[in-house]
Amino acid sequence: MSQQLPPKKPRSTKQIIRNIAIAIAVIALYVWTFASINIDFGRVIERFTSNFDRVIPQLFSPNWERAPEVIEMMIETIFIAYVGSLAAAIIAVPLGFLAAFNMSNSRILATFGKWILSGVRAFPEIILAILFVVAVGPTPFAGILAIAIGSTGMLGKLYAEVLESIDMNVVEAMQANGANKIQIMFHGIIPQVIPEFLSYAIYRFEIDVRASTILGYVGAGGIGTMIFFAQSGRNWNDMGMILLVIIIVVTVIDYASTYIRKRIV
Amino acid sequence: MIEFKDLSLVYPNGHQGLKDVNLKIEDGEFVVIVGLSGAGKSTFIRSINRLVTPTEGELHVDDDNILDYKGRGLRKLRTKVGMIFQSYNLVKRNNVIKNVLAGRLGHTGTIRSVFNLFSKDDKALAYESLKRVNIDEKLYNRADELSGGQQQRVSIARVLTQKPKYILADEPVASLDPPTSHQVMQYLRKINKEDGITTIVNLHFIDMAMEYADRIIGMRAGEVVFDGPVSEVTEETFEEIYGRSIREDDLRGGVEEDVEQNV
Repeated sequence: MSQQLPPKKPRSTKQIIRNIAIAIAVIALYVWTFASINIDFGRVIERFTSNFDRVIPQLFSPNWERAPEVIEMMIETIFIAYVGSLAAAIIAVPLGFLAAFNMSNSRILATFGKWILSGVRAFPEIILAILFVVAVGPTPFAGILAIAIGSTGMLGKLYAEVLESIDMNVVEAMQANGANKIQIMFHGIIPQVIPEFLSYAIYRFEIDVRASTILGYVGAGGIGTMIFFAQSGRNWNDMGMILLVIIIVVTVIDYASTYIRKRIV
Repeated sequence: MIEFKDLSLVYPNGHQGLKDVNLKIEDGEFVVIVGLSGAGKSTFIRSINRLVTPTEGELHVDDDNILDYKGRGLRKLRTKVGMIFQSYNLVKRNNVIKNVLAGRLGHTGTIRSVFNLFSKDDKALAYESLKRVNIDEKLYNRADELSGGQQQRVSIARVLTQKPKYILADEPVASLDPPTSHQVMQYLRKINKEDGITTIVNLHFIDMAMEYADRIIGMRAGEVVFDGPVSEVTEETFEEIYGRSIREDDLRGGVEEDVEQNV
């Protein structure tokens, strides 16, 4: 008895040519980029080896005397992230409703809402921080604003997606019993989306803690300020202490956030 | 009283949902609408609370042409006309009592409802409604913890809490098994008889229609092709409505049990 193999997947010559063309284009792109950035590999290795035994050992012997100060700044950083993401979690709600097709009931409004959110998302936090430092001065408030605006873009988009996936039959049932729009929102829509909204807001807080550690680099408050001074003073022991605190705090917050989010949804 | 006068509905895609429907439904009747899927049963029912809007003719509920209604008037109509759905349409994450209280929304002010400030009377009424469909012990369970039949009973309790004059039920048993289907239909009939609420139910199971209806309306392609008391209905009537011979899957089967035993 001979085995019968399944017939080969039919593939047209056109497809084969297309695939080869894509492969060549990708390879060409790689070659071109590497050729044009002028990496002097000799110099890279030389600098790396000379700095390696100067910087790295110092990073691994953190300056414990500065620990209280570093921890204090880390707490400020967490506060910036907290206030910023809390503000974003609230501002994003109306924007999410606007950008969800099934809520605004108008393609034009929803598309407009999605554009606003995409526009906001296009700015990296650090750029927003620079703008707000100019606007409100080099204080943690600038950092809060940068985090709030930066997070609103992402949260608004995620909220809109959650809203678009709800059970609209429930909404229909409430319309059918004579509820008005606001009642439908509070009794039919919000109960369906609250857990997801919360989960995304907590996840965003987790991202914001990491993002706000570098905001101080441009003067927007938090531990980034210390990073800036440690780096400009080539003070690698201090840098080691700062990094140690950041790593511990970020890891703890990551775990806590994952745990809480699992419990909510 | 509900009165259809030359009522037609053409959907935007050109599909004719209703075609020259003329009939009258008296207060307190238990009407079952039968027909194949796509025959216009849903469109018929949903016209009465204006979830869809007929394009021609007049539709009178309590002597008012409801096709003119919008905004507040429409909401007032809908508080008077309760609805039960095939997929129950409960808020799954909310508990049973909250779902039942949602039936009061049309009677409650916006601000009060936003803060969940339902009156004592409303709460008592909600609990009473749950008792009437024998599901009061599930008061604080989340809706998604209940079985299909239990969820449909909660949605009946929600409609009862609304204190409607009319109940519309759009394929209320299509997602349920035979024993639970009978149970749900029995509750609907019991409410119809005890409270005198006019009840209009869509069904495609012939045997259930025969068992529970006072009056049967048969529909095909958007037209009413039969309208008469259940005593006039025979198997030939259904063959005429369906335009084909009766098959096994047109019957739900299952025996009738007493409601009180099925707790």
